[in-house]
Amino acid sequence: MVDKAQVNAVLDTIIDPRTGRSIVAMGWVQSVHVSEGQIGVVMEVPGNLASGAAPLRSKAEKALADLPGVESAQVVLTAEREAKPQPQQQQSPAAIKNDGPTGLDQVKTLIAVGSGKGGVGKSTTTINLALSLADQGLRVGVVDADIYGPSVPMLLGLDGKPEIVKVDGQDRFVPKQAHGITANSIGFLIDADTAMAWRGPMVQSALMQLLKATNWGALDVLLIDMPPGTGDIQLSLAQQAKIDGAVIVSTPQDLALIDAKKAMTLFEKTEIPLLGLVENMSGYVCPHCAEVSYPFGQKGAAGEAEAKGLPFLGAIPLELAVREGSDQGAPILTREPGSPAAVAYQALALAVLERMDLVKPRPAPTLIMA
Amino acid sequence: MPWPQQIKYDSGAHLLVITYDDGSQRQASAFHLRMNSPSAEVQGHGGDKPPAPVGKENVAIQGMEPVGNYAVRLLFDDGHDSGLFTWQTLFDLSAEA
Repeated sequence: MVDKAQVNAVLDTIIDPRTGRSIVAMGWVQSVHVSEGQIGVVMEVPGNLASGAAPLRSKAEKALADLPGVESAQVVLTAEREAKPQPQQQQSPAAIKNDGPTGLDQVKTLIAVGSGKGGVGKSTTTINLALSLADQGLRVGVVDADIYGPSVPMLLGLDGKPEIVKVDGQDRFVPKQAHGITANSIGFLIDADTAMAWRGPMVQSALMQLLKATNWGALDVLLIDMPPGTGDIQLSLAQQAKIDGAVIVSTPQDLALIDAKKAMTLFEKTEIPLLGLVENMSGYVCPHCAEVSYPFGQKGAAGEAEAKGLPFLGAIPLELAVREGSDQGAPILTREPGSPAAVAYQALALAVLERMDLVKPRPAPTLIMA
Repeated sequence: MPWPQQIKYDSGAHLLVITYDDGSQRQASAFHLRMNSPSAEVQGHGGDKPPAPVGKENVAIQGMEPVGNYAVRLLFDDGHDSGLFTWQTLFDLSAEA
């Protein structure tokens, strides 16, 4: 007769190629039930790895069914969908400030996409990464943190003011939807040609409202399209939001890499785990002769990632269709899903997911007044 | 540096006690933290250091606010609240308990 130990031993041989660990080692096996040659297993998978879990499920089921004396084996998959745990802060005599409910409460992972330097294609990368993550079955949102130069509305072909709903007695923005992802941007609230002549504190409060007063609902990932630089806005985001990881975008050019390094330092100082580097505008494929040339140099970001001991998440080629799609609100991923750039974005999403699972921020300490 | 798991203020003893993930504990008095606050009010803006605060012997901490994932803001009862104490700063300003 088959027993639980045998079942566990079989399950321990089912390895997730993305992490190199078995489904048992990753703690996915929630329950094992064995009776009279019938095996039932419940596998709970973190939302960010859910997409690759189906083949592992069938593999496990088959391996169990092959055990001698087993009549039937069933492996059920459930994706873990719980909201982000609230910081455990004990309310004691004196005040420990804690945010009330915000629109972020059901957002599981907050990922910042930053660059340091402007113009390296950070917003385009953010949107296409978001779409690729959504293709993997995740619920994805994008918040445009570039208050002075919001690009997300144009990239997604969206405009018009967002609706307002009351949640917990507070006004919340309803994020807009396009191509299966949700988004909010200051660009929805102002005219496209109006310059935001705002000082720092105004910008900070606008940004916090976009982030926390948007009714994001249950999301697996919210990407923050960071503005260029390492100043006020970046610092207040690090202070006021619990960011789970950062992706740095750079062109291969040294000039961009200098600023990318600064952005990395800021994330390091504020204890935000770096997921890795993306090289954008990597090589240009000539549409006539298909020869690849490297207008911004070659392997700059890959070299920098290596020097820093960081994963290189991928290289996105310079393609005319990316630019055209961006300007028309039809991202390359939806417009030409088979193009080299779109394929590179899909690979980027997988690399980011893998890193998200391996790199977890250490939780901030519990604060107690006694 | 070990990672802090708990920061507890003992208002009777005016002591901040930090427990780390390796099981060790460190502590610092509210007075010591107030005198060495990383705020520019105490440290200056990069030039000369301003005169040290005086008469703070009995200062107490009356509140704490989390700052991102990397620091805590300590609210002192003399109104000083602009110091963001990073985990490294707290480690440097405290002594083994």
